[in-house]
Amino acid sequence: MRVVIAEDDTLLREGLVLLLASEDIEVAAAVDNADAFLAAVAEHRPDAAVVDVRLPPGFTDEGIAAAAAARRERPGLPVLVLSAYVEDSYATELLADGADGVGYLLKERVGKVEQFLDALRRVVAGGTVMDPEVVSQLMVRRRSDDPIRTLTPREREVLALMAEGLANPDIAARLVVTETAVSKHIRSIFAKLGLAHGDTGHRRVLAVLAYLKS
Amino acid sequence: MDRVRAAAGATRRALPFLLRGLVSSVVALVLLIRVLLVAVFTLIGVGWLAIPSTVRAVRRWARGERRRVANFTGRPVPSPYDPSDDAPAVPARVLLAEPATRRDLGWMLFHALTGLVIGVVALLLPLSVVNAAVVPIYWSAMPEDDPVQSPYPVTSWLDALGMLPLGLGWLVLTLVLVPLLARWQAGLAGLLLRPTKDARLTERVTELTATRAAALEAHGAELRRIERDLHDGTQNRLVGVIMHLGIAERALRREPESALPLLLKAQNQAADALSELRDVVRSIYPPILAERGLDGALAALAARCPVPCTLRAAGLRRLPAALEAAAYFVVAEALTNTAKHSGAEHAEVTVALRPPTGPDEEEALVIQVRDDGHGGAAESGGSGLAGIRRRVAAFDGRTEVTSPVGGPTVVEAVIPCGS
Repeated sequence: MRVVIAEDDTLLREGLVLLLASEDIEVAAAVDNADAFLAAVAEHRPDAAVVDVRLPPGFTDEGIAAAAAARRERPGLPVLVLSAYVEDSYATELLADGADGVGYLLKERVGKVEQFLDALRRVVAGGTVMDPEVVSQLMVRRRSDDPIRTLTPREREVLALMAEGLANPDIAARLVVTETAVSKHIRSIFAKLGLAHGDTGHRRVLAVLAYLKS
Repeated sequence: MDRVRAAAGATRRALPFLLRGLVSSVVALVLLIRVLLVAVFTLIGVGWLAIPSTVRAVRRWARGERRRVANFTGRPVPSPYDPSDDAPAVPARVLLAEPATRRDLGWMLFHALTGLVIGVVALLLPLSVVNAAVVPIYWSAMPEDDPVQSPYPVTSWLDALGMLPLGLGWLVLTLVLVPLLARWQAGLAGLLLRPTKDARLTERVTELTATRAAALEAHGAELRRIERDLHDGTQNRLVGVIMHLGIAERALRREPESALPLLLKAQNQAADALSELRDVVRSIYPPILAERGLDGALAALAARCPVPCTLRAAGLRRLPAALEAAAYFVVAEALTNTAKHSGAEHAEVTVALRPPTGPDEEEALVIQVRDDGHGGAAESGGSGLAGIRRRVAAFDGRTEVTSPVGGPTVVEAVIPCGS
């Protein structure tokens, strides 16, 4: 796997390069601004890009715009966006033109190397990865008559993991239950929330996130 | 004797004032005629076009009067006009609605009627003194059929000598009346030409609105700075710690001996995070202020300054935290400038509370940082001075920087204590 990194903080950039290199992931380029990032994507045609949200010169959300621009240039380019804090509106912007191969994670998730690599692989495979923090932000902002309140605690866990972009086997592994049990929970959740059943992969994530945002 | 000398001094000052008043009252008469004409033509319906230019002419005259009064009393007469009136196209009715316009006209009318008489009296009195003193010298030179007449015909030495006590009388009258008339004219002019209390309050509100906006702006800038410092500094360092610990964890599983440098890196970044956090905290509210008060904190600053620094800040009581913090940063910033740019060998910091200087004033904290460097500090050069100005303005305070080339540089900030 070959990736391009855009991160303006030197120590973090070097850390990321070291982390990926020691996991046998080739870092084709590691740059510190949006323009260099777009050039590197065009030049190296990587399998994935890892982008910091805040980049020079404005230090606001240049990374989001750069990720979107890179995906316009190379449709379907898997992009994992890292941020020091999560903002669900950024997540929405990222997912605006297709959720396949998009990830949005808090920066400190890279410390759990295994899970970080797993997230990267899922994005490269065309999946969607949402930070649990985004999901929990969305979950707390519910009205009192929201059907979500009728979900059982276990169903809420399953819903959150679906929103994070996990597939059924992964959910089952996380919750230490069987896949059949997960399927049952999901059917029940979809029925309670009035969502169309049958979507899988990133379309399911989109549906769940759209529901949570509404 | 002292009283005579004082009266003579007062008369010497009063005379030019009243004589200028004589000239300005003639101008006032001419302007009065113009105002009346414009008023008549406005009633007919065509005069209103001339109103703005006429008001401006009256104002020019009134400005001259303000200067005349200020020269005499030594106290400036504040201008009562709305600063926005200087715009070229202010409509007539706006100008007429201003109380300042009516008061200007009031003084103009009054001065046109009285200023001429007063001026002539002030001119004639001393001339009479001089005349009475010199009549004994020249009366005999006058033709016999046209002798000196004022105030009585002088035809003999006795008549002439009688002029001397008369002159003394004129002198006493001059010394008493001229200063009195001047005081009276200046007092009345000052009363009508200065802004009304309402206008002063309005101006104060405008000023406060502006400083409040500046305070909000400064506060916003401060919040953004803190956010940036935390986000780009501390937070990133901690992410670095977590990341390197993560890499170290993986390394420990595979080849434990390669984990040590990673752990050291993580440790260093944790230390960096801590020191950056300390800097941010210090920049928000220096902990030493809470512990030692302003004078203690300033003593620490002075001791840390690379340029030898004398501090005079005795007898400060505790002030609101925001104010102490602002004062601390003003001194810190000024001393940093001194150390970095001035080439000074010595700096001096004076901080003191100044009691209210007038009825409209408040108690103020006066901060002065002076150095003996080469001067020439430019506001635009670094943002240091601009930062001081912004911080001080946020408290409705004023900053003055004097830094002639060759030095010395003096930064003075006056911050009202607000209570």
